[in-house]
Amino acid sequence: MPNLALAQNAKVLRFIPQANLSTLDAIVGTQYVVRNAAIMVWDTLYGVNSKLEPQPQMAEGHEVSDDGKTWTFKLRPGLTFHDGEKVLPKDIIASLKRWMVRDSMGQMIAAQLVAMEGPDDLTFRIRMSKPFPKMLFALGKANPPMALVMPERIASTDAFKVITEFVGSGPMKFDKANWVPGSMAVFTKFDGYTPREEPSDWSAGGKRMFVDRIEWNIITDPATAAGALQKGEVDWWENPIPDLVPLLKKNSNVAVDIADPLGNIGSLRFNHLQPPFNDVRIRRAVLMALSQEDYMRAVVGDDTSLWKVSPSFFTPGTPDYTTDGGDILMGPRKYDAAKALLKEAGYNGEKIALCVATDVAITKAEGDVTADLLQRIGMNVDYQSLDWGTVGARRAKKDPVSQGGWNIFHTWHAGADCINPAPYSALQATGDKAWFGWPKSDKVQAGIDEWYNAPDPAAEKVALAKTNRAAFEDVIYGPTGFFLGYQAWRKNVTGVVKAPFPVFWDVKKT
Amino acid sequence: MFAYILRRIVATIPVMAIVALFVFSLLYLAPGDPAAIIAGDQASPADVERIRESLGLDRPFVVRFGEWVWHVLQGDLGQSIFTNLPVTHMIAQRVEPTLSLMVLTLVFSVVVAVPMGVVAAWKQGTWIDRVVMLLAVFGFSVPVFVVGYLMAYAFALQLEWLPVQGYTPIANGIWPWLSNLILPVLTLGGAFIALIARITRATMLEVLSQDYVRTAKAKGVSQAPILFVHALKNASVPIITVIGLGVAGLIGGAVVTESVFAIPGVGRLVVDAILRRDYPIIQGVVLIFSFVYVLVNLCVDLMYTVFDPRIRY
Repeated sequence: MPNLALAQNAKVLRFIPQANLSTLDAIVGTQYVVRNAAIMVWDTLYGVNSKLEPQPQMAEGHEVSDDGKTWTFKLRPGLTFHDGEKVLPKDIIASLKRWMVRDSMGQMIAAQLVAMEGPDDLTFRIRMSKPFPKMLFALGKANPPMALVMPERIASTDAFKVITEFVGSGPMKFDKANWVPGSMAVFTKFDGYTPREEPSDWSAGGKRMFVDRIEWNIITDPATAAGALQKGEVDWWENPIPDLVPLLKKNSNVAVDIADPLGNIGSLRFNHLQPPFNDVRIRRAVLMALSQEDYMRAVVGDDTSLWKVSPSFFTPGTPDYTTDGGDILMGPRKYDAAKALLKEAGYNGEKIALCVATDVAITKAEGDVTADLLQRIGMNVDYQSLDWGTVGARRAKKDPVSQGGWNIFHTWHAGADCINPAPYSALQATGDKAWFGWPKSDKVQAGIDEWYNAPDPAAEKVALAKTNRAAFEDVIYGPTGFFLGYQAWRKNVTGVVKAPFPVFWDVKKT
Repeated sequence: MFAYILRRIVATIPVMAIVALFVFSLLYLAPGDPAAIIAGDQASPADVERIRESLGLDRPFVVRFGEWVWHVLQGDLGQSIFTNLPVTHMIAQRVEPTLSLMVLTLVFSVVVAVPMGVVAAWKQGTWIDRVVMLLAVFGFSVPVFVVGYLMAYAFALQLEWLPVQGYTPIANGIWPWLSNLILPVLTLGGAFIALIARITRATMLEVLSQDYVRTAKAKGVSQAPILFVHALKNASVPIITVIGLGVAGLIGGAVVTESVFAIPGVGRLVVDAILRRDYPIIQGVVLIFSFVYVLVNLCVDLMYTVFDPRIRY
């Protein structure tokens, strides 16, 4: 490539995201790729740093009343939307109202909300009927859906309808005119953005942009993406597949490192409404035989630095991590005991509809291991090879298997969503209102409630231990292990950090 | 002739109506739910249901089909369920890369394959014939994506002559445009060249055994005019038919080629739409492709009259 062209490209960062960006509405769409784009365009009142602590972002600071019911926030002066309008409390109120419809923490706030008001242009207040200690985490968490602040006219859109105007106050603007869904999404630097003084740390601190333009090149074929990175046609690849990492590591111009230190937790999801997994003994029998090592080797491979056995529903390495109650996943696998338990529970060879999304490498690998596991303990497996789009629709069906329902599907949860119960929809055990599989466990819910009301970190830890134990006793789902993923970038790009999402601020390109 | 063209164009209307009904019904019956995909993995079942309602996907088949047809009749193919952008706009964004890829592949394939087939027929039974047929079998047998990866590895990564992926609009310059298309065209053209070369050889062999060719040889006409003027013209009708039929294969091959080389064409658009269940895009693209294919067939029929004066409509 001519030098002139290289110079022209110096301030353009070309990035391959994990998936196609088919919408930018991070309230309606909770996909991580949507969140990763939205976090550049929209700002939040608070951010969360790498210690998982909420820090002021759009807010200058806050005060809490003595009774813990009234939160008063001061906004940073000079906050401006991309269309030049000032950010006002009315925008924040409308944005939070829309967010509360979709987010589980938002719904908890809404249930205790007395009023949201803006006494002046720089002050915003939330009045609650009860203290809500997790308020700052709720407003700052980077787990989708995030409490993103948008202009009132946009935020007034129904929370189930996709917005069509993408105006935020974040450090990058979305260039809708150059958006080619499935191929290219372009973000340009917002000159009106004033970063905070502090150094950036995940979604907290100063979001300083050192590139003028970020181009998301949607390259779905991993081999093509690897070739483009090696040749310098792109600068940064969010999620290279493990098979191609050795090839990338051999290239002296390419750096490879762990992407998200919080990793992911694999999931074997049971349908708690339909037989045979409506019987906790059958679910326990599966866990007794479940080998996380088998799953992890199938999903990630033999590089043991990328995965670990984790008898927990929570993310290893985080402050409240616990393995309390996880013994069922430890030690030699108990196939005979599992068979005996199946017999005791009256399992009689009924077909198990195992819905496997074979177009997604992780779920395909999980599905294959599960099929083997179920057969080993004498279950009659009906392996249904489907695409993710079909599994997505199928898993919503509560009907019996004979009427299009299901027994098991697989997914995985970002470790960032499993640090505590707040963003963890898959752990909720509220029966009919719970996530797909509809588990019901009063003990798990009691643990979650205890965590929400915990006054200090020690109490939070105790609450999570109880929750973990209860989740294993009632087998909310089967954790199939903890695994990490890589990211790769050209060495002329600096400032790439490990985080639960690609952090574009402070990234420089020479 | 004009009346014939008009009749054929009018005849596309029932064809398009059948295609529309077929595609809409197929998508209606196919499993999958765009609402679940929009909502994402974190969404609750209740959220998915609300989004389905807001998209109108809970309405009866007849209502949705009727509404879609009504809009199509007004030239409106609807909006993408995901991006809210008009389907016509999204297709228009993708037409240039696909058209460039297909036209270049078509021209390149014909230019290479027809002489190959003619020479193979002329040198029947010699090593030249065997080499041509070997290449044809190879081109036909190796999957497009394998050829694509090998091409990219050799010419883009190792030799660094060409880009690995992407597309540059022709407005940005001929060479940037062409450099992005060379490898995809070579990849996509392989099977098409094999097909045309084989049919050219077979037809030429038949024509070359005709009396009038022997007469021409006896009269002392040199080899080139015999092959390319007298014989090829008479062999051209089956070749044109195959080229016409091959356009459908090219459309299918373009889907794979566009994915391998990350070309933002219509093929990738429709594959993404299928995976996401973005019904309006799938319906729009299939409808337009069907129309294009009908037009290609019409062009093929009209070309028969040019190469074979005995054919008249």
